Amino acid sequence: MTATTLPSPRTARQIHWGKFFSRLLGYLVLTLGLSLTLLPFIMMILSSFKTNLETLRVPPTFWPENPTIDNYLRIFNDPDLPLLRFYANSAFVAIFNVVTTLFTSALIGYLFAKFEFRGKKLLFGWFLTMMMIPTQITMIPSYVILARLGLINSLWGLVIFSAVDAFGIFMIRQFCQTLPNELLDAARIDGASEWQIFLRIVIPQLGAPLATLGILAFMNNWNAYLWPMIVLQRLEVRTLPIILTWFNSTHTGQGGLVMAATVLIILPILIVFVFFQRWIVQGFTMSGIKG
Amino acid sequence: MSLGFARKRTSNGGLASAKSRFVASVTIPLLLYESLGVFILGWAFALMFFDYSPGRLGGPILGLGGSNPFVGLGNFIEMVKGTSVEANLFRISLKNTLIFAVVILPLNLAITLPLAWLLESIGSRFRALYRTIYFLPVLTSSVGVALIWMTMYDPQAGWINAIIRFFGGTPVSWLSDPRAGFANVSVAMWAVILAYLWQDYGYNMVIFIAALQGIPLELKEAAMIDGASPWQVFLRITIPLIRPTMLFVCVMTMLSSFQVFDIIQVMTNGDPGYQTQVLMLDIYKNAFRYQNMGWAAAESFVLFLIVMGVTLIQMRLLRTNWEY
Repeated sequence: MTATTLPSPRTARQIHWGKFFSRLLGYLVLTLGLSLTLLPFIMMILSSFKTNLETLRVPPTFWPENPTIDNYLRIFNDPDLPLLRFYANSAFVAIFNVVTTLFTSALIGYLFAKFEFRGKKLLFGWFLTMMMIPTQITMIPSYVILARLGLINSLWGLVIFSAVDAFGIFMIRQFCQTLPNELLDAARIDGASEWQIFLRIVIPQLGAPLATLGILAFMNNWNAYLWPMIVLQRLEVRTLPIILTWFNSTHTGQGGLVMAATVLIILPILIVFVFFQRWIVQGFTMSGIKG
Repeated sequence: MSLGFARKRTSNGGLASAKSRFVASVTIPLLLYESLGVFILGWAFALMFFDYSPGRLGGPILGLGGSNPFVGLGNFIEMVKGTSVEANLFRISLKNTLIFAVVILPLNLAITLPLAWLLESIGSRFRALYRTIYFLPVLTSSVGVALIWMTMYDPQAGWINAIIRFFGGTPVSWLSDPRAGFANVSVAMWAVILAYLWQDYGYNMVIFIAALQGIPLELKEAAMIDGASPWQVFLRITIPLIRPTMLFVCVMTMLSSFQVFDIIQVMTNGDPGYQTQVLMLDIYKNAFRYQNMGWAAAESFVLFLIVMGVTLIQMRLLRTNWEY
């Protein structure tokens, strides 16, 4: 081991400058990455305020020449595009799915954490296996079932197969294992029924994991594309991402209009993110679920 | 009751039976629901051995048999050595999927790991802001991402060609030129890869940042005192300690890029000339456009095997546990 000697003032200053430059370089690289991340968003927003003629110009303009909110007005006033209805469709699917998966995750997670019953390990292993199976395997028979039940073009058909979420069950189970048994037993002795214990004592303790799971489920449903596209074939039942591709294909060459529609569909989720950032980042880090 | 079985035999028999009633009231609906899942899975498994189209009446059980004949391993044999259009397209799609995944992985790591490390080693004042912005594309709907990038790739009015023209280069029809390519990968493929990278890299960054924050500061400081340069610290301390995270990130990135669909379906729909046709897209088209569901089920089983293989490799590699 070598004894550390005090650096002379000169080398100390050199180290200081070296640190300064490497920090500066670091900030430059990070800011470059930042700009490349933000620029497409900025261009989207700027284009949405351009006239359609301006979006076709070569070379493209950066700032809108005559900023106009015409594109937005056209979208809001388009009788063929009942935007509120599509928002309502997306919101119904997302919120219904959040409520059902949160309820089933809490209930089943609690059951696996705090109760012993015959076949518990088997059931749990079953869940493990089901979680590994990707949706593209089950997509085809699920579609045929929906078609036979007449649930194509129904928002219920979209939500029926996703009422139980294996990852949510795992997460709640982990969390419930830390709940003290005394708390539950005390309530039992006081005469509370098992359902009362679950609803009044267990659920209030699960605030943090339920918030994380709920926001993740909301985002995944809001952005979902493949399965809604398969199930929802009639225009008026569609959710926002499918409407966006449809709108794009029916308005080719009208860049400003399409970008305005994109802004309207992307914006809600980005606002949600700004408010719930901590939960979202945490949830994504834990789950390994990709958007 | 066979399912409900309370663990503790309390002196109060009522409590135990209340518990088992509760267990039964949850597990019985759950079993029914999960049975539906198993039924669907079994059906999916059966489908791949048939030439099945939902438009044909078929046999009595699930429409299998009859005009939807049993073909055994026929679908898989056709995939390997068939000369039909579908078989060729399957092989093209498989190749494109592999190219996509294999190109994405190193590019993603080369961006995310250094950026995360920089962000972590730099002062904390702006860290949260940087991280927030890097994460924005992850949350953006893939359809939105695809449309934004389509305007940027536009051969005439797009920004990317504008920059190329500015530097005196020849503009490229990014999403539609079947002949142009770079490093044996077509430009259309590069275009969707770039858009996908842009959307996806924030996710891995957040995971790397979390892992880097978990490394105890004393380890780095001790190495610095012993005279290690920051570069040496990065190579000899940081990298080995986040190895499990790196493996996790690699596998997750591979898995999601094997299953890519949204961005490509919107941007190119497999064009030009099937150069961006990936497996999920091929499965989707076969199943829901051409109603060729038996074939599509067989294809999705192949995709499932690939995904499963990657996952199993991950489990083996991740078995090393690090402690510090």
